Amino acid sequence: MRKSIYLAAGIAAALLGAGAAMAMQDAAQLRASGVAAEKADGYLAATPRASGPQRDQVSAINIQRRQLYTSLAGQRGATIEEVAAATACQTFASRIAPGQQYVLEDGVVRTRNGNEPVPLPAHCR
Amino acid sequence: MKVTNLTKEGCDASRLEMGRTKGWLLAAAAAGTLSACVQVSAPDRPIVINLNINIRQEVIVRLQDDARRLIENNPGVF
Repeated sequence: MRKSIYLAAGIAAALLGAGAAMAMQDAAQLRASGVAAEKADGYLAATPRASGPQRDQVSAINIQRRQLYTSLAGQRGATIEEVAAATACQTFASRIAPGQQYVLEDGVVRTRNGNEPVPLPAHCR
Repeated sequence: MKVTNLTKEGCDASRLEMGRTKGWLLAAAAAGTLSACVQVSAPDRPIVINLNINIRQEVIVRLQDDARRLIENNPGVF
């Protein structure tokens, strides 16, 4: 009886340790790791090299973004899509660091090459 | 929209699916030789962009300051 309790405690500790090692990454860290790309519609895309937990984290961030977009849309008399698209203009202009990836309306995943300016989505002009 | 990886592979003209009229042209041109052609493979999951064509340009412009503030106030999300 005692042995199985120690065994259970040991497994729990190991799982917690593993969980701590795989700390939740924010959007900037996911982009920096190459597992997420900014999309022209204002959301993040998981790239093929993203693991399952990383995809979940991308989804979680997108849900948060949609909540923020919805809230702002209500305040400003705009649609959620308009707020999302407008935010994408700013995200593309300011948040994509060198080496990070983005996806314009053509669906092609591109990497920012050094300090070259990121092309803005067409609706940003 | 699908993201595609273009890879160049040498391939036999007979493997290409083409209409009859194009087919004999290609066969004649590539007779006895390998013709370089591209093989397009789609990834497992397409990247989907959702952009409603009804977004209003003037609204996008008007929202830029708010969008910038939204990003500044929520750095972990953006």
